[in-house]
Parts: sequence; C-alpha cells; structure tokens
Amino acid sequence: MLQQMIDNLSSFFGSGSNIMFLIFALLAIGGAVFMLNLTKVVHMVTSLAVTFISLAAIYILLQAEFVAVVQVLIYAGAITILMIFAIMMTNHREIDQSIVRPLHQGLVLIGVILLGGVIFYAVQRAAFPAPEVDLATNNTENIGLKLFHEHVIPFELMSVLLTVAFIGAIIIAKREED
Amino acid sequence: MNVVSSYLILAAILFCLGLYGALTKRNAIIVLLSVELMLNAVNLNLVAFAKWGIAPSLTGQIFSLFTITIAAAEVAVGIAILIAYYRSKATSDVRDMNSLKR
Amino acid sequence: MEAVYAQYAWLVPLFPLIAFLILLAIGRTTGRVGPIIGVLAAGASFVWSLFVLFEQMKGDGMGYVWNDLEWIRAGNFVLEMGFEVNPLNALMLAIVSFVSLLVNLYSIGYMKDDARITVFFSYVALFTFAMLALVISENVVQLYIFWELVGLCSFLLIGFWYEKPEARAAAKKAFIVTRVGDVALLIGILLLVWNMPGHALGFTNIANAFANGEIAGGTATLIAILIFIGAVGKSGQFPLHTWLPDAMEGPTPISALIHAATMVAAGVYLVARTYPVFEASSDALQVVAYVGAFTAIFAAIIALTQRDIKRILAYSTISQLGYMMMAMGIGAYAAGIFHLFTHAFFKALLFLAAGSVIHALHEQDIFKMGGLWKKMRLTGWTFAIGGLALSGIIPLAGFWSKDAILAEAYHSQPVLFWIGLITAFLTAFYMARLFFAAFTGPAETDDAACAHESPAVMTIPLVILALFSIGAGFVNIPGSERLAAWLTGEAPSDHSSVLVIVLSNVVAVAGLLLGWLMYGKKAVPQDWLSGRAGWLYRLSFKKFYIDELYEYLIVRPLRVFGYFLHLFDEFIIDGIVRLLAGITVGLGRTGTRLQNGQLQTYGLVSLLGIVILAVAFVGWRFVVNAG
Repeated sequence: MLQQMIDNLSSFFGSGSNIMFLIFALLAIGGAVFMLNLTKVVHMVTSLAVTFISLAAIYILLQAEFVAVVQVLIYAGAITILMIFAIMMTNHREIDQSIVRPLHQGLVLIGVILLGGVIFYAVQRAAFPAPEVDLATNNTENIGLKLFHEHVIPFELMSVLLTVAFIGAIIIAKREED
Repeated sequence: MNVVSSYLILAAILFCLGLYGALTKRNAIIVLLSVELMLNAVNLNLVAFAKWGIAPSLTGQIFSLFTITIAAAEVAVGIAILIAYYRSKATSDVRDMNSLKR
Repeated sequence: MEAVYAQYAWLVPLFPLIAFLILLAIGRTTGRVGPIIGVLAAGASFVWSLFVLFEQMKGDGMGYVWNDLEWIRAGNFVLEMGFEVNPLNALMLAIVSFVSLLVNLYSIGYMKDDARITVFFSYVALFTFAMLALVISENVVQLYIFWELVGLCSFLLIGFWYEKPEARAAAKKAFIVTRVGDVALLIGILLLVWNMPGHALGFTNIANAFANGEIAGGTATLIAILIFIGAVGKSGQFPLHTWLPDAMEGPTPISALIHAATMVAAGVYLVARTYPVFEASSDALQVVAYVGAFTAIFAAIIALTQRDIKRILAYSTISQLGYMMMAMGIGAYAAGIFHLFTHAFFKALLFLAAGSVIHALHEQDIFKMGGLWKKMRLTGWTFAIGGLALSGIIPLAGFWSKDAILAEAYHSQPVLFWIGLITAFLTAFYMARLFFAAFTGPAETDDAACAHESPAVMTIPLVILALFSIGAGFVNIPGSERLAAWLTGEAPSDHSSVLVIVLSNVVAVAGLLLGWLMYGKKAVPQDWLSGRAGWLYRLSFKKFYIDELYEYLIVRPLRVFGYFLHLFDEFIIDGIVRLLAGITVGLGRTGTRLQNGQLQTYGLVSLLGIVILAVAFVGWRFVVNAG
C-alpha cells in the first residue's frame, strides 16, 4: 500500500490544479493548527479566518464557485466578525491558557488520532468511480434553478429557521432591564 | 487512489483538529470556533462528493449551502447564549459550566 | 419374654433433654424454678432407669435392641440410630442418673448464690442427657456423637465461671486434650467402617465380627489401640491426663458428677463396650493393662504432695481409673466394671464432701484448714467413710472391687499385682494425709475456725452416698459374684485368695497409719522423705513436669505455627478480600470522575466510544476480508 501511495503522490504533483490544492490545503490545516496553539483569542479567530478563505479557494477548485463566494461572505465575513464581537463582550483580554489536564488532553488526542486513522483507512479502501461532470458552467444559475425547483421546501424552512434564530438571539442576549 | 480521496482526507484532518479543539479548549468561544471548523470540514466533504463522488450533481453544493446557513444561525444563537451566561456568571470558562452534574 | 421397660429406655435420656430445653428457654431468671426442674428431670430418669435395671436383673439375658431409625444411606452403606439395653447399659444408666440426681440436689445448696444458676442446671441436664444417650447407644458412631457432646458439656461446665482466666484456660485444655483422644477414636471408627463386613457398626455386629475372627491380627490391634487412645483421652490416663486436675477449676458438684463418676468412666465404658475388639488382640490388652497400671501409680505419686483438696481427689480419680483400665487389660472385665460401679459412689461422695468444706471455708488448700471435725461433723464422717472406701478397707465397697482386680492380677500378671498393691498403699497414705490435715488439728485460719455445717440439701446426698459406699460392694463378694455373673452372662472365674485380701488390707492400714503419724499425731516429721530427697518431692509436686513438657514440645510450636497462619490469613486472605473491595471502590471512584458535569468530559467519552466501535468494526472487517 505504501508503494502505491508513493506512486500516487508522484502522479499527483503532475498537474497544476493539484499543486494549488496542496498549497490551499496546507494553508487550511495550518490555520486550524495555529488556531489551536495560539494563546490570544483574537489571534485564534484570525487564523481560523485564514482557514475559511483557503477552504473557499478549494471550493473553487471543485468548481463550486457559488459555494465559495457564500463561504467567504458568511464564514470569513459574518461569522468571524460575530466571534470577535463575542470575544469583545466577554473577556477578550484574558489569554486562553490551555488547562493543565494532561489525562483529558492525552485521551482526547488519542481518540482523535484514532478517529482520523479510521477515516483515513476507510477512505483509502473505498473505491469511487468518478464520472466527469462539468459543474462550473452556469454554476450560479443552475444552483438557483435547482434550489427553487427541487429544494424549495428546505429553502423556505431555512428562512424560517433564520428568522427564529435571530429573534431568539436578540432575546437571549438582550440586557435585562432591571 | 481516487481523486476524491485527497479532499476527503483533508476534510478528515480538519474535522479531527476541530474535534480536538472542541473537547480541549477552555474558553467557550474557542469551543464554538472549533465546532465551526468541524462544520467546515463536513462542507468540504459535501462539495467534494458533489464533484467527484459516485453520483456527482449540484445537490451536494446545495446541501452545503444549507449547512452554511445552519452554521451561521447556530453561531448566532450560541454567541447570544454565551453573552447572556457571561453577564450572569462573569466567566466564560467551560469548566465552570457544570450544572449538568445535578 | 419380651423386655417391656427396656423398650422405653429411650425415656431415660429424654427427661434431662426436656429439662435442658426448658431451662434454656427460661434463661437467666432467678433460680427458684430452674433447679427444681433439673432435680425433677434427674429424678424421673433415675426412677425409669431403675425400672429398666430391675428388669434386666431378672437375668434371662433379655437385652433389647432397636435400631430402626435410618440416618444415613449412601450407596450400600446404611447407618442407623437406635438404642440398646443390656446388663452393662442398664447398670450404667442407673449409676449415671443416680449420681446426677444427687448432684442436682446438692447443687441447689452449693450454687445458691450464683447468678447463673439456671444456666448451670441446664448444662448439667444437657450433660446428663448426653451421658445417658451415650450409654444406650446402639452403634459406635452414635456413641461418638454423644461422646463429643459430653466433651462439650464438660467444656461448658469447667469454664462455667468464665470470668476466671484459669477456668477459661482449663476448659480449653480439657477440650483440646480430649480432642487428641477423640481423633484417634474417630480414626478407629473409620477403620471399623472400612473393615467391618457390610459396614455394620452396631455393637452386636462388632462383637460378632471380632469374636468370629473375621477381623484379626494387625487390623484388630490397630483398631483396639485407637479406640483405647480415645478412652485414654476421656478417662485421663497417661499421657492425656493433664486436663483432669486443671478441670477442678469448675464448680465442685460437676467435679463430682463429670470428673469422678460418669464422664471419665465413659472411657472405661467404651473399652467394655468394644471388649470383643480387645479380646481379639492380646497385644492391645497388654497395652491397656500396662498403661492403666502405670497411670495408677504415677497419679498416686503426684497426689502425695498436692495441697489443693480437689487436685488430690482428681489425681486419685486418675489413679483409680488406671485400676479399672488395668482390670480390663488383664481380662477382668467384670472386676473393672465393678470398680467403676463402686468408685462412682465413693468418689462422688468425696468430691461432694470436699465441696461442702469449700463451701464453708472458701478455701481449697488443705494446710489452711484444720479442726473441721468438730465443726462439720456430718461432712467429716461421710468424708472418712469415703476415704476408707477408697483406701480399700474391708468391708467397705472399695475393698471388694479393688480386691477383685488385685486377685485377678495376682493370678495372671504378678507384676501388675505388685504395682497395684503399692498404689493401694499410696492411696491410703494420701487420703489419710488429706483427712488429717483438713479435719484434725488446730484451725489454721479464721475461716476454718468459724466454719459450720452445710445445709441439709447438701448433706443428704453425702449420707446417701456414704451408705452406698458401705454397702454397694456386697453385690460381688468372692463366693457369690452375682454382679460378674450377671454382667458377663457366664459363670465367674473365682480367683480370689485369702493372701490377696490380707495383703491389700495390710498395706491400706499401713498407709493410713503412716498418714496419721505424719499428719495427725505429727509424730513423724512431715519432711521425713522430702527433706532427704527434695528432688523426689519436687518431681511429685510439679506433676513430673509433664505440663511443662507439653507446653514446650507441643503448645509453643503450635502457637508459632498458629501465628504464621494468622499472618497468612491477615495478609494474604484478607488481602485478597481487601483487594477486591479496593478494586470496587476504585472503579467507583473512576466512575465518579466521569460524571463531573463537564461537557468536554462527556464529549471525550463519546468520542472514545465511537472510536473503539469504529476500530472494532473496521478491524473485524479487515480480518474477515483478509482471512
């Protein structure tokens, strides 16, 4: 299996899109890792924003342009700003120290590595025949058509959910008038 | 090896990193952030399968749109709860939120 | 003709058993009712045993056996329970119930001020039940059961005043030392089970098997020796005699009942019951005879120097039991039983009289008494009669029985005769020493000076026993051996000779004279021998250091062994239990840490669960697909 992996890797670097994927993948992972290891909370949010943007780039590689733009708008835009607001309103000055809970952290690490290992193994063993499909042409238009023809009910439910969510959030976070 | 495998593995790595952060970090904001990371990984999976999966179609991308929406709503509500909690308890440390014990 | 009363002989032990249960239920209520129940039960069983005895005395040889209660059935081994009545049994029934009745009566006075008097009577009733049931046992296993029960009652009664550490130690010692004998007896019983044809264990079966020579030679000798060791333990023969003197820590009435008249006689009774086993092996008989003779003279020597009135009588008991064993060993079965019969009366008398003295003086050292003859006339007279009977002065009961033994010994094994004769001299001497030191002379202490006679309830048994000590011998005088003929069912062999009669009386009188001279008239100085040969005195006084020998050879090593076992028990066995408990508690604590209310902990547990499941699933698939 190892030999197979090496062969695949060498053929992988043959094409340009693959190199782009590699760069953005590394950026994404790097952003996530930095998020975990930085000390100041604001820095952590920033590195996660980098992850979000590199993920958007990968979406473009996957011919999902609309999703990529939405990702940048919502995630890197709204959600990141929301997080920073939340940090400002709680205790942003405090440095997030990792708690000294070695047993807990050790066990989580082991569990996560095992989980990663299992998924890696499953993915390696699976065979995905890949018929070529062009999703990039008229991507937005097609998504819109599909959304309003076949998936209109979830779309409407989505709007209801969003309404409920922001009303709820306002109510919860409202300052109590004493 | 399939083309989709690399995307799936990337998603798996991001998911695991997010899981680690969710279970280990002390600040509740960071925990929420890690959950966002996990949701992003899932999104990547969906979009990858939309292009390179067994039955590729746009449905995967639409699904991922929905996921992003849900994630946004969840973040909003979560932050609101956190802010309300912080106002009453003056702490955002997950270790102090142990009322589930009773 | 069918024996009528014998069919109901099981009633005899039943009365004391009922008394025991009632007294057990009554508990510690103050003692007006308890003693009366005990006396009534003893009286009832005595009356009934007399009926049984008189019926047996009609002499048609009608014994009665009933063994229809099937107790164990294992394969083709059947063990029945039942009872048997024959001349020997009936005699023992009468003796035991009679002495028990008198002791019950006596104890009303002796134990009057004791808080646990009802408990005492319940134990005595239990003992009486056990002894009577032992006597009419039909097979050797049943006898063993009651043998153990009797030993238990002895333990309970010796340690009756359990606040005294000496009493506790003495009770333990009695139980443990007799246990040694009991183990041997049990092995003997097992050998019998193995060897008896049909595994039948009834005494009649045993008698037949051994008389017909079905089991002979080495096996018979081994079984006989083992049974004899059991008897040695119970009857306090050398080397298992050490418990009997210490058993004097118990109340005097039970010294009279158990350790003089009945329980210690159980050993002799056992030998008599299994006599065909011994007859099948002449080696065993020799062992019995010599052990008995040695014990007789050994105990008599020790009794010479003891100061405690009860200890002297205890060693005297051991010595007389030696006589009985010697008689059994030389083949004089009837003489041995005859001596048991008379000994029960005069030894019980001596003990009860000694109890009367102790009750009045609260003192047991004979050299702290003195002058009691004037103060306690009745006790003095009965004690004197008992002492003369024990010494073997004609025509008292002890003489006739001792003479029967000595005559038989003179006839068959002269060595034993001379040992017995010397012992008779020593017996007379120490009895005279006791009597003159305690009853004559000036009062040595204030308690002795203001002693008074005991109440009637205590002196009436003394008088009764004195009368029997005088007259009980006449059932078997030479020339008209009615007892011997009745017991053995055959014409007695008359080996009496005038020479023996004369010799035994002469030595007895000589012993009494010497005792009077040394302790009564004080004409001969008391340290005549002990001053010259002090080591002899010390040997005798220290009981030949047998107790110390056992202490260093047996008790200490066992204690060390016990200590190591205790360590093993505490650290290894208890350690395992504590380990299990610790594991459980530890698991509990770990479980507690899982439920700490932290969301991240719960998340971790879920993650680990999923991962383990996934790994297991994948692993199983991997194995299945790869294999």
